[in-house]
Amino acid sequence: MRVKLLASSVLLVGVLAGVRPLLAHHGTGVAYEPEKMVTVKGTVTDWLWSNPHCGLLFDVTDTKGVVTHWGAEFGNPHQLSGAGFSKETFKAGDKITVSGHPARSGAPRMTFDHAVLADGTELSTRGVKGNGERDEANQ
Amino acid sequence: MSKRIFHSAVILAATVALAGLAFAQTYGTKGYAPGAWKPDELPKALSNAKPFDAHDLSGVWSMPTKGFEKHSLTSGPLDLQHVPTEMKQNSFPPPMTAWGKARFDATRVSYGPRSVPPGTGNDPVSTCDPLGYPRAIWEANLRPFEFVMARDRVLQHMQYHDVWRTIWTDGRALPKDPDPAWYGYSVGRWEGDTFVVDSTGYDERTWIDHFGNPHSEQMHLEERFHRTDPDTLVVNMVLTDPKAYTKPWVSDTITFVNPKAAIFEEICAPSEENLFNDRIRDAAVGKSKP
Repeated sequence: MRVKLLASSVLLVGVLAGVRPLLAHHGTGVAYEPEKMVTVKGTVTDWLWSNPHCGLLFDVTDTKGVVTHWGAEFGNPHQLSGAGFSKETFKAGDKITVSGHPARSGAPRMTFDHAVLADGTELSTRGVKGNGERDEANQ
Repeated sequence: MSKRIFHSAVILAATVALAGLAFAQTYGTKGYAPGAWKPDELPKALSNAKPFDAHDLSGVWSMPTKGFEKHSLTSGPLDLQHVPTEMKQNSFPPPMTAWGKARFDATRVSYGPRSVPPGTGNDPVSTCDPLGYPRAIWEANLRPFEFVMARDRVLQHMQYHDVWRTIWTDGRALPKDPDPAWYGYSVGRWEGDTFVVDSTGYDERTWIDHFGNPHSEQMHLEERFHRTDPDTLVVNMVLTDPKAYTKPWVSDTITFVNPKAAIFEEICAPSEENLFNDRIRDAAVGKSKP
């Protein structure tokens, strides 16, 4: 019985290991597709630094000049602080390239994975644990 | 005269400082929190450093990140459908009564195999409603709690929602017929080096965990806390709720660690969550236009 319980626990951990800690929250694995990654280039319109979720709003203009209003959701501020984010990280007008896991519905929404700023700096939330700690092995 | 006083003061100060250093190997909080005091703005020595005393539970308590999947009293497999019968008793939760099952079935959760898109769920957490207890401590890896020892009570301060739970240690028994409270009513006593907490009177609108496991006002929780060393606190719980479960729910031994960091403000402000939902999340599930 104990061996079976151990085996099941190992299986459970194995299944969860494939899902990054931030995505295990709030059913994001249901509304978003953790196996897919989408990358878009746009201009920041707003940066919500709030509890329990931060969010980034940015406009993406296609080759025909059509503007799509994108949004990316993040975890909470102290998780993000450990990854180098702050209230001042993004400002309206910043040009960025954002990558994340897209919404299953096809709506222009994603859960944030990483972004490259205009000056080439990359910011990611990979490997962020709770309370601002960073998992060194998983950055 | 003043020179002698000055010298005595220096000697006294040095003694105190050295004493502090000697005890600094035990525990204390650094007070560091992102977005608040920077490391170089903090006192050099650990604040509140003292020698280890198992009857002092004070400090911040967190879970290792690996405990993230340990979401409730027990950390059994999430998908009970595929759990072999002989293992079900070790999985969570115990069999529910008809009342308990009806409450459980009415939940639209955001975690585990029954989860629905957050915009369509009814988890009280998503509207900034109180988590209640013991739910407030399951995410201790992200949102730790701290114990503060006072003369007639122990205070348990949960980071999320900035909640203070009072555990009376003045010898009183649990109230016989209390009005329900979000965080219940708690009394504590020492049995050797174990701090035993009994609590009841929990408002049944809260969930035991974020899988939607329910409880009634009849829920009685016994927690046995034991600080095994400066950096480790373990707890064993027995949850008894005959209105919701046919048997008591006996927890695993749950381990907390001292991260040497401070609790900091984490308020769930309805206006902020609504703003996030309106502007970002609702659009993901088609509830609003981007």
